[in-house]
Amino acid sequence: MEWFDALVQGILLGGMYAQYALGMALMFGVMRIVNISHGDLVILLSLIGISMATAWGLGPLPVLIVLVPLAVLMGWVLQKAVLNKVVGSDPLPSLIATFGLSIALQNLMLQIWSANSRSLPGHGLESQSIEIGGIYIGLLPVIVLVVATALTWGLDLTLKRTRFGRALRAASADVEAAAMTGINPRAVYAMATAAAVGILGFAAVFQSLRSTVAPADGPAQLIYAFEAVIIGGMGAVWGAFLGSMVLGISQAIGFRIDPGFGVLAGHIVFLIVLATRPQGLFGKATT
Amino acid sequence: MSAIPYPAAEVPEVQVQRQTPSGRIAMTLAVFALVAIAAMPWWASTGTIRSILVLCCYIAVAQMWNLLAGYAGLVSVGQQAFMGAAGYALFVLAQTYGINPFVAVFLSLLVPAALAVPIYFLLHRLDGPYFSIGTWVVAEVFRLAASNLPIVNAGAGMSLRVMKDYSSFERNVAMSLLCAGMLLVTLGGSYWLLRSRFGLALIAMRDNPVAAASQGVNVAKLRFLIYIASAVGCGLAGAIYFMAQLRITPGSAFDPMWANVAIFIVMVGGIGSIEGVLIGSLIYFIADRWFGEYGASYFVVLGLMTLLVALYARTGIWGLVSKRWDAPWFPIRRKLVDQNR
Repeated sequence: MEWFDALVQGILLGGMYAQYALGMALMFGVMRIVNISHGDLVILLSLIGISMATAWGLGPLPVLIVLVPLAVLMGWVLQKAVLNKVVGSDPLPSLIATFGLSIALQNLMLQIWSANSRSLPGHGLESQSIEIGGIYIGLLPVIVLVVATALTWGLDLTLKRTRFGRALRAASADVEAAAMTGINPRAVYAMATAAAVGILGFAAVFQSLRSTVAPADGPAQLIYAFEAVIIGGMGAVWGAFLGSMVLGISQAIGFRIDPGFGVLAGHIVFLIVLATRPQGLFGKATT
Repeated sequence: MSAIPYPAAEVPEVQVQRQTPSGRIAMTLAVFALVAIAAMPWWASTGTIRSILVLCCYIAVAQMWNLLAGYAGLVSVGQQAFMGAAGYALFVLAQTYGINPFVAVFLSLLVPAALAVPIYFLLHRLDGPYFSIGTWVVAEVFRLAASNLPIVNAGAGMSLRVMKDYSSFERNVAMSLLCAGMLLVTLGGSYWLLRSRFGLALIAMRDNPVAAASQGVNVAKLRFLIYIASAVGCGLAGAIYFMAQLRITPGSAFDPMWANVAIFIVMVGGIGSIEGVLIGSLIYFIADRWFGEYGASYFVVLGLMTLLVALYARTGIWGLVSKRWDAPWFPIRRKLVDQNR
């Protein structure tokens, strides 16, 4: 029963990680770019949300409604001002640029919000629970999982069915061929990054509701997103979702064994997957 | 079909020129600097020696990162893994097993070398930017493992108490010699490597790995060797740095700050050149002394500068300088000179 509980907790934790991993998988799939400031953006959005909530007494839902468009805008600006200049076959410029951005963001947040941990007041939401078959599950983690599933499903459908999705897939398959058919890669990239960071708007609200955030927390979130993407299999949207579940379950079981072992257990599962199935658990083998 | 005979007489009599006047001056200065560093106990205070030691560690770590990112195309943000591993190895060998610490410095280099092999085989499967974050995960795994391992005193860290068996002067002599040796191995070794046949292959690989491979360069093997060499170089810097600190904890040993330092130095100084590493190290060292007290705002500026260099001036300061004046300090080019003219 205790282990079943860890499994449930792990799946719910995975819902959180899926919200980070989706954006990373999307950006890497389209541009072959990893945004090192990915985790720092989550923290920045969280801190903005917390400050809004305390200043104006907003509940979680209004914060979410403000934060997601703000995140979309941030992503669009990030692409226009930084990433469009460094996208290309050489991974170095984009890594260095976003690395510098990450350092600057972390320390800027440290100055504005100090090193203290804060969280978003949930007005009772964070302590409510529902009973399913004899175990009590927190209402908030269930909402997180449902939102994560909906986001994954929505992103997958967008990629498969819409005009934007087709343009995006074309640009990721062969950017020059896509440009010849009338797709503007820069516009597609801007929308992809806007979507990726937009999803982080959801992640920011839930992260600051379910635990605390501090300016230095970003790199850890980046690493979890990365591990989820690699465990699941690169590129695929549902791969990132399932990878997040595997990572969440590994960490939850690790925490149950020993509190100092939780995060390490996730890393170890990641390394085992990398050693035995480098294309990811759910990815198709190339070559 | 017979082969067309190549008229041997038409091969012009040329000489390969490899050294330049600027290079000779720089080489002389470099030798003087090395001797001065080795002789520090006789002219510098203990405080100065400590500062120079930190500067030497910056130079060594940055040059190792430069070899990785600037030539092998492997952008690592986790070289602190090897610094910490060698540092811990030194503490365990010297403190727990009672081996002479100045011998243990060299023995401890076996640990990063041995760890780098499996790590490279795991991580090289990751594509471009994912490789970088993979190296970071490895450094985190090392940090968490060190926080849980009883042999390294877990999260509490270790102290190098055996160092008090040596007088302050003896320690200063050892530190100075180690610094000079570290610079000789990391900078001198890189220079030697770049001037050798491997250097040609490395430069070809830096410019275009696919084209280099088509010319017979074994890109995969070279990358592997550079990764191991860089791990050992960073290990040496880590062992010397923590020997001077006398104390090591999981947080300090595997501090991502070292990745920031290496990236800032190499990108601002100029990637793919030894000159850039020296310029960048001096800038960072001076900036750290002058502005370090401003804490977070100092790092905001540092981060923004890295960002701006990546966006607008990818060759760094040395790239701008060498475009203007052709006077390399460490020339690695081969220039053909016709003696008859």
